[in-house]
Amino acid sequence: MAEKGVESKRLKEVTSLVRKGARRITLSIGDGANDVSMIQAAHVGVGISGQEGMQAVMASDFSIAQFRFLTDLLLVHGRWSYHRICKVVTYFFYKNLTFTLTQFWFTFQTGFSGQRFYDDWFQSLYNVIFTALPVIVFGLFDKDVSASLSRKYPELYKEGIRNTFFKWRVVGIWAFFAIYQSLVLHYFVLAPTSSGINSSGKMFGLWDVSTMAFTCIVVTVNLRLLMMCNTITRWHYISVGGSILAWFIFVFIYSGVALPKAQENIYFVIYVLMSTVCFYLTLLLVPIAALLCDFVYQGVQRWFFPYDYQIIQEIHRHEPDNSRVGLLEIGNELSQDEARSFAIAQLPGQKSKHTGFAFDSPGYESFFASQAGVFVPQRAWDVARRASMKSRAKTPRKN
Amino acid sequence: MSSGGTNGASQASKKNSKKPKYSRFTQQDLPACKPILTPGWVITAFLSIGLVFIPIGLASLFASEHVVEIVDRYDEDCIPSNSASERLTYIQSTETNKTCIRNLIVPKKMKQPIYVYYQLDNFYQNHRRYVKSRSDLQLRSKEYERDTKTCEPERAHENEPIVPCGLVAWSLFNDTYGFSLNNKILQVNKKDIAWKSDKEHKFGSEVYPKNFQKGPLIGGGKLNESQPLSEQEDLIVWMRTAALPTFRKLYGKIEDDLEANEKITVVIQNNYNTYSFGGNKNLVLSTTSWIGGKNDFLGKAYIAVGGFCLFIVIGFILMYVIKPRPLGDPAFLSWNQNPDGHLN
Repeated sequence: MAEKGVESKRLKEVTSLVRKGARRITLSIGDGANDVSMIQAAHVGVGISGQEGMQAVMASDFSIAQFRFLTDLLLVHGRWSYHRICKVVTYFFYKNLTFTLTQFWFTFQTGFSGQRFYDDWFQSLYNVIFTALPVIVFGLFDKDVSASLSRKYPELYKEGIRNTFFKWRVVGIWAFFAIYQSLVLHYFVLAPTSSGINSSGKMFGLWDVSTMAFTCIVVTVNLRLLMMCNTITRWHYISVGGSILAWFIFVFIYSGVALPKAQENIYFVIYVLMSTVCFYLTLLLVPIAALLCDFVYQGVQRWFFPYDYQIIQEIHRHEPDNSRVGLLEIGNELSQDEARSFAIAQLPGQKSKHTGFAFDSPGYESFFASQAGVFVPQRAWDVARRASMKSRAKTPRKN
Repeated sequence: MSSGGTNGASQASKKNSKKPKYSRFTQQDLPACKPILTPGWVITAFLSIGLVFIPIGLASLFASEHVVEIVDRYDEDCIPSNSASERLTYIQSTETNKTCIRNLIVPKKMKQPIYVYYQLDNFYQNHRRYVKSRSDLQLRSKEYERDTKTCEPERAHENEPIVPCGLVAWSLFNDTYGFSLNNKILQVNKKDIAWKSDKEHKFGSEVYPKNFQKGPLIGGGKLNESQPLSEQEDLIVWMRTAALPTFRKLYGKIEDDLEANEKITVVIQNNYNTYSFGGNKNLVLSTTSWIGGKNDFLGKAYIAVGGFCLFIVIGFILMYVIKPRPLGDPAFLSWNQNPDGHLN
């Protein structure tokens, strides 16, 4: 809603009516002081900074410089944000659920005594160092389709309206895969350790097995993030690779020093592990076995039940990445409609609020535009055009 | 702030422009690869996994199949009576004769070194209070002899600290095995059964056992007080707490070959009390390969995953052939499928 010159109380009432009565999500946009209460009454308030001052901007949730930027705010950034937030939140729960469930399955084998499966430091740093950065990078950079495609297919916005990516069904599927993966991670790691582990016949202890399991979890969870990305920038590689590398560096250091005041559970464990073939075989097998079902599910979902954005990705898959023509720059091609609206914006009637213009009517647009040196494609009702058509054969116009 | 769309108007007002400085990072403009899971990719991925995993699985299984293992449960047969209370008296008394003779038949030729393990079932070395009940500081160096706080209840005996303290050491396994073949004794080498890092760093070479098993309750074996802990390999092996309630620990190795169908006589001293909690004791003889002991799991898992992938490949190919969907067909867009699309 945007209105000029209407009393602010009335604006606010209408907004509240729609918000509470019709129970819709409301967005109101305005630029003047009379719009402030309306902006505050709606769910999302957008203020336009400009000729009428900054009151609207200060009261709003988002502020933009021109009214026409609203399309980008909604269709591009709003949509991307929805997509990213859904994925980040569900991924976060998934990775913690997987991690915690592997501990949970272990309790069945400790006589329910509450023995931890992982060392304290591993547990504390899991969410801080080893799996934190990739999901942040995903939330910052992921784009399901590019900005220009988002504008071209505004119907994609309906995915957010229909809450496609955060329904109970979606959450349930993530939870199901978390449970499946935790079972694989737990049992596949424990199973080979029941007999001698290398050619000298020695056996693994509890902390060897748990370090092996933790390594597999960090690798699995980070690879799962890569599987869910739509755009993979170099920061993705850096953060995923960096997290896994950080884990190895951490455990090399942690097992290498004998901490004087602590129980030395993990002393030398990783070096013992890395001297056995079993560790490498398990490290290759377990993440792939864990992610297998996810991958099958993605393949089936993408083929039989594709989301709209996936189809659009496929339609435009061969187009060169024109992201260089980003949101701040523009190539020299304006579409017909954009050229038209730009040209109209140049007309004297549009530029100034305070003057009306007698010939402010559609028929004269192309005339005045050409006076201003701007080309506007002609429409059938253009007066100037009709005047110039003396005796021209009628060409069928496809419109 | 969002800015977007056409920007030609800014030419006139460039000097007053509030346009933020362009940087690829802040404008989310980074070059990116946009992977799309097309059928080609799905099939390629699964096919490559299958083709890599199946040979690895076959190699692992082959190695594991070559390992010869003899497992013999002896705790039931080595105790003279069946009643629970009589068993307990028998096992806890120091006067009864605990010798037990067992015969094992070698199923296939076993090349040396043959590893001897004892396997315990239903013994929760991974119980929280058990795992906690040890003091690594004390094990490592003599100056921390008094650091027994975590070792409850096996901390001190008559106000003197027990070395090594804690339940883990107190419950040291103490059955012994002697092997003979055709009346010739097979030597069991009990050196190098512990991980080298344990021997060199976790168990000090100047720490000697003290006050060990002197209390009213004896939990397991006794230790030689003139040997430093770094040489007590049985203790070191025992103290590497196992992950599961069924576990094996290395006892020693036999450095002779054994031919098929040979009869080995084992003389067991059945000292360890697993009867009060219903545990089992087994004697295991096993050869090893590059993959370790007899463990079919890795081989089978690799083959299963590889086979599953190949099966999926066939499944997907069938799916793509039977129910094809042209890639990037706009007809599948949801608003094209419901032309009278209503807004929710």
